Amino acid sequence: MASVSPEKTRWMRGPSTPLRGALLGLLLERPGHGGDLANRLAARLGETWRVDTNDVYRLLEQLEKTGLVVSRDEPKRSNNRRTHLVYYPTEETPEALTLWMETLLPREPVRLGLQAKLSVARQQDAPRLLIALRAYERECLLLAHLVSPSEGEARSWAALCMECTREAVYAQLQTEVDWAARTRRRINEFLERSD
Amino acid sequence: MTPLLSFLNVSKRCLDGGREVLVLDRVSLEIDRGASVGVYGARRSGKSTLLRMAAGIALPDSGTVRFEGRDLAQMSAGERGRLLREAIAFMSVNDWSANPGETVVDHVATALGSEGLTMREARRRALGVLDQVGVGASGAQETTTSLSMTERTRVMLARALAREPRLLVLDEPAQMPSLGDRDRFYKLLRSATEQRSMALLVASEEMSALQGFSVLMSIADGELCSTMEQGSVVSLPNLRRARAERLG
Repeated sequence: MASVSPEKTRWMRGPSTPLRGALLGLLLERPGHGGDLANRLAARLGETWRVDTNDVYRLLEQLEKTGLVVSRDEPKRSNNRRTHLVYYPTEETPEALTLWMETLLPREPVRLGLQAKLSVARQQDAPRLLIALRAYERECLLLAHLVSPSEGEARSWAALCMECTREAVYAQLQTEVDWAARTRRRINEFLERSD
Repeated sequence: MTPLLSFLNVSKRCLDGGREVLVLDRVSLEIDRGASVGVYGARRSGKSTLLRMAAGIALPDSGTVRFEGRDLAQMSAGERGRLLREAIAFMSVNDWSANPGETVVDHVATALGSEGLTMREARRRALGVLDQVGVGASGAQETTTSLSMTERTRVMLARALAREPRLLVLDEPAQMPSLGDRDRFYKLLRSATEQRSMALLVASEEMSALQGFSVLMSIADGELCSTMEQGSVVSLPNLRRARAERLG
């Protein structure tokens, strides 16, 4: 990536960057109010993300402060006497999205809860760790089970992006299941040796 | 109601370079008629052993595998062989074999040998099933040696479906270079078995291949984990964990 002013990448700091980037992409497709954007995000990213509507409002406010989105108070379609904020992209949004696409993703923190437990576990905690790892493995399987199946060959760019997102979710969950299994195996082998 | 297939406390050990390895560790599960069960597992996780036992090709060291309520270990080898020709179809891409020069339609039709059909009737049924798996009339006349991996997998599926088994067991069926081909194959597989109310048990090293299955399981070190509610499909705690629990 060519040298870019730090001002232009400031919004890409912190763990919410992927959601901010995805919101910019959605707004470039079409404007929307917070609830609409939250629904579109949830549909696009799948169940594993657990998109929180309050987070979406908070992120939109942050993006507005950086000048990457702008909001207007507009009448609601369902009730003309009431208004809500509708968010629009700005002139800077397309470039910001392009920069985000070019930026290497930072390493995401994964399974933080279990990692924290593992980091300080005592040997007598082994059964509890095994149960927690087992529960985590099942949770990953349940999440994989929620992903809607592929419709086959992607015939449009949007469908291809959905396919790739689906593949990313499965790849992540498969890695997690493998990690849980490997960790259980290590613990079991250790317990066998120390018997 | 008796499940179509059940495992109760099934264990299996194998020798690996002179060392005894526990491949399945007190596995319990039930599969009902018409269910589709996907088993995800890494290489050497025990999934192929699980599938071979489900098909009656291998028997447990302890525990019971029942098909339609009958204990497979209590059947004679001949009875199990008949079961595998009629009620259960087992398919592994690694087991592909075909006679030199044989056409695709004949390859599928010969699978119907035990059903008392004439060769003409068997070919007619084979053509119908081949058409359902996307192999048209001209493809059916090709020789089996000319098939690509993707075509071969479809032909194997047609051969398995033609006998109308009640349980279809597939071990890593779609080792295909293209993800699109793989997803199309799995979609075809799900719809073909749904139409026939056939139970499906499939193992894969790729979790994404198992999308759309009614039950998803994972297997590692011979232990099973499942999306099913406890009680419907049960995975009992294993010996090592029980020992660990005593430690706690």
